[in-house]
Amino acid sequence: MLILTRKLGESITIGDDIRITFLEAKGKQVRIGIEAPPHIAVHREEIYQLIREQNIKAAKGDTIEKDTLPDVLEGLKNLLLKDQ
Amino acid sequence: MNIATSRFGQIDVDESKIIDMRGGILGFEHLKKYILHMQDEKNPFWWFQSLDDGKVAFVVINPFIAKHDYEPVIDDNDRKLLEIENAEHVVLLAIVTILQNPFSVSVNLRAPIVVNAEKKIAKQVVLEDQTYAIRYYLTTAGSGDEAFTARDN
Repeated sequence: MLILTRKLGESITIGDDIRITFLEAKGKQVRIGIEAPPHIAVHREEIYQLIREQNIKAAKGDTIEKDTLPDVLEGLKNLLLKDQ
Repeated sequence: MNIATSRFGQIDVDESKIIDMRGGILGFEHLKKYILHMQDEKNPFWWFQSLDDGKVAFVVINPFIAKHDYEPVIDDNDRKLLEIENAEHVVLLAIVTILQNPFSVSVNLRAPIVVNAEKKIAKQVVLEDQTYAIRYYLTTAGSGDEAFTARDN
């Protein structure tokens, strides 16, 4: 990990397109400004990890047998459409 | 075009229906091309099948079916990335996680796949709004034969 010390108001650039500015510090919290092109995802680390893990769990084909999944989905469909 | 998939075997893909994921699905960033596959007209659960890796497919559902008052805010950056010109072209898909032992079904309302249905481009958008759960359960905990009820978790 690259470790730098900056003063409030100062910035760091990453590559050609990303700039991070340290705006304000209050107690244990830091307010950070991020400038990045739209195709670069910027997330709070812990949320990113949770979503990543959930996606991986969701894609795991081996959690449900190929044959029973259609039945499972059929049962769920009835549950959902009941409310409509 | 024909592609080999783990779940459906060989499927014939209509190339005009291929969806281009900008940025990919988190954890699967290397997979860019997907197709939305409906097994049965009446079943709201669809499949988001990767064309780059036949083994990867996600069960997805229109999140409004799971939560009627779902109101996600898509920010300007994402609107630009997805080239959204008309809100009517936007389709949302929430990834469904189905697990065994114990059986549970949850829908990711925090990070829906936002699709520009006209341009066939999509992105998994992580919403800022913390009220939407990453695991919105459609089943109650410990359910097996019990009646299912939808609840937040």
